[in-house]
Amino acid sequence: MPAISMRHVRGFDVVRPISIGVMLTMMLPLVLLPLLSIFIFGTSKGLGNFWAALVAPEAVFALKLSMITSFWATVFNVLFGLFAAYVLSRHDFPGRNAVIVTISLPTAIPTAVAGFALLLLWGPYGTLGRLLGLQVMFTPYAIILANIFVTFPLAFGVIKPVFDTMSRSLEEAAATIGATRWQTFWHVTLPSLRGAIFSGALLTFARAVGEFGSTILVSGNLAGRTQTAPLYIFAKFNEGQIEAANAIAIVLALLSFVIFSVLFFARDWLEFEAQEV
Amino acid sequence: MTAKMKLAPNTDQLHVSWSPDREQKTGVAASVRGISKSFKKTRVLEDVSFDVAEGESLVLLGPSGSGKTTVLRIIAGLEQPYTGRVILHGKDVTDLPARERGVGVIFQSYALFPRMTVEKNIAFGMKIRRRPRKERKETLNRLLKLVQLEQHRKKYPWQLSGGQQQRVAIARTLAYKPQVLLFDEPFGALDAQTRVHLRREIRALLKQVKVPAIFITHDQEEALELGDRIAVLNNGHLEQIGTPDEVYNHPQTEFVATFLGAANLLLGVVTLGAVEIGTARVPATAETKKFRGGQSVKVVFRPEDVTLSKDAKLPEGCRRLANGVIEEVSFVGAYERLNVRLDLTQRQPAEDKPTLYEVTINTPERMTGIPIIATRPKPEASASKFSVGDRVAVGLTAFSVLPNYTLVGGRVNRALDINR
Repeated sequence: MPAISMRHVRGFDVVRPISIGVMLTMMLPLVLLPLLSIFIFGTSKGLGNFWAALVAPEAVFALKLSMITSFWATVFNVLFGLFAAYVLSRHDFPGRNAVIVTISLPTAIPTAVAGFALLLLWGPYGTLGRLLGLQVMFTPYAIILANIFVTFPLAFGVIKPVFDTMSRSLEEAAATIGATRWQTFWHVTLPSLRGAIFSGALLTFARAVGEFGSTILVSGNLAGRTQTAPLYIFAKFNEGQIEAANAIAIVLALLSFVIFSVLFFARDWLEFEAQEV
Repeated sequence: MTAKMKLAPNTDQLHVSWSPDREQKTGVAASVRGISKSFKKTRVLEDVSFDVAEGESLVLLGPSGSGKTTVLRIIAGLEQPYTGRVILHGKDVTDLPARERGVGVIFQSYALFPRMTVEKNIAFGMKIRRRPRKERKETLNRLLKLVQLEQHRKKYPWQLSGGQQQRVAIARTLAYKPQVLLFDEPFGALDAQTRVHLRREIRALLKQVKVPAIFITHDQEEALELGDRIAVLNNGHLEQIGTPDEVYNHPQTEFVATFLGAANLLLGVVTLGAVEIGTARVPATAETKKFRGGQSVKVVFRPEDVTLSKDAKLPEGCRRLANGVIEEVSFVGAYERLNVRLDLTQRQPAEDKPTLYEVTINTPERMTGIPIIATRPKPEASASKFSVGDRVAVGLTAFSVLPNYTLVGGRVNRALDINR
């Protein structure tokens, strides 16, 4: 039978190692080497120096500020995303699709534009800024606002499809059993959304921690007051303090690595949640 | 809270018979009065009314799109009727939300809560009503025993078979003592064998708990087996309601006749105490009582009500229809199925001269003859064998006479005639 392909006759598939090799070679300069260089440079002057750079008060403050602002932006966006997903998948009204597109818009807008827009609205000469007479720009609250804006569609985008595919009969069953809307939501709907809420929150948080373009515009980049971790890296690099920048860079890289590993390896669990509904 | 409490009066005596005062009052557990409903501009229900008695099980039978699910959803309070009322145990609940009606719905997908164990699913209704812990436990144990799921109490819905899931769904609704149980295509998702088995199980269970039930199905066999009475729906219209025997043997409309099992349809005209079908004259004094002479009618009869005889002698009680030729013989499991072509163009002899006419199937007459279907049980089939081409006398043991609306116009989109 000469028709059988050579690969099978030899019992060895050549395409497999070659394609894997090519893929890894392409990834090397594009992704792997840059990541690796952070770790190599960061620790090249010894772990002592690395640690010193990490615990410098400004660095610690920047990291803390990033975590706190990202946390609150995540809390807000998950709650709002949940609410918006509920409203938009349970109720039909004129202009619903326009609202869905608008909610998703922030992903497509350059972050610098987002920051600029926030400045125009809330800033000293902005509409809301003048009207309210209170100044949120150049404070940590501005950073939270910017984070909310930029990460707005992420949680919504994860939760909405789960809502859409969720069978209505679960909620209807709860209603016929005697549950109020709130009891139904709390005992029936919410448990089925756990996975989506969890991954939506992680995505939002990861994105918010790394936010740079809008933050630098609205925060004023004041060291020890409104400087987040990415801004700290930028500032220290500009000042020529490569080690200081590098230490924080390592922390941020590790953090995203952890978050995405969780998202990836918990995928089965998360998908299982979604399917069951 | 008070409204909810009212619907679950003393849950301690779960199960079983209803409080006597209720029964005395009406004897009617659920009543649907003149319900109509449209979705956008399509009429899905038109003036549907029926009652369900205490402990009775009623089957809503109809093809998909007949509006049967909508009726169920309206009773449950998941849908609002356009006009009409829903009355449960003498109380008008039309304006009450689903959660205050105390109606148990067993959804086609069972709709068990995926994050809860069997126990928690069943106890959910009692939990949200904040029943005392002791009572909850007792009711739960009683229900688990009732549906025979004691060993599975700690399992999650996805660990159960379809039948077990359905029993959990039933127990979950029984936990809050529903006034009526609604089953939406309860066996749709199951294979044929489990289906038959579960049907009997549910029927036994219902007799035990004595809760009135409404089933929805498009399966006529299921309807005949489950229902104390059957309501046949078509195009949002209640065609007939009655016991399985009434609906099957005395269909009042052509749709009921053709939807519930196979039926032969012949066009005829009423004459004095008889129906004339072509040249045939079938005596039918009782059947034609409500018709005028000369009125156009349809004669409907089931394949098993057809009697065939080779020697032109028909048994007692069987009315002679016409002569025919066997066109096809086939075995369909438990019975034999015969296609017979009737000769309705030649005059028949008088009753005392029962000779068979020469009807052949190889002449152009074949195209003008009228085909009907007859079935015979196995013993009868093996006792006297028929083969293709045999000439037979055709008689009917039972038939119904229905008005022929298609000639009047309207109601055209009904089941097709087989005698075109």
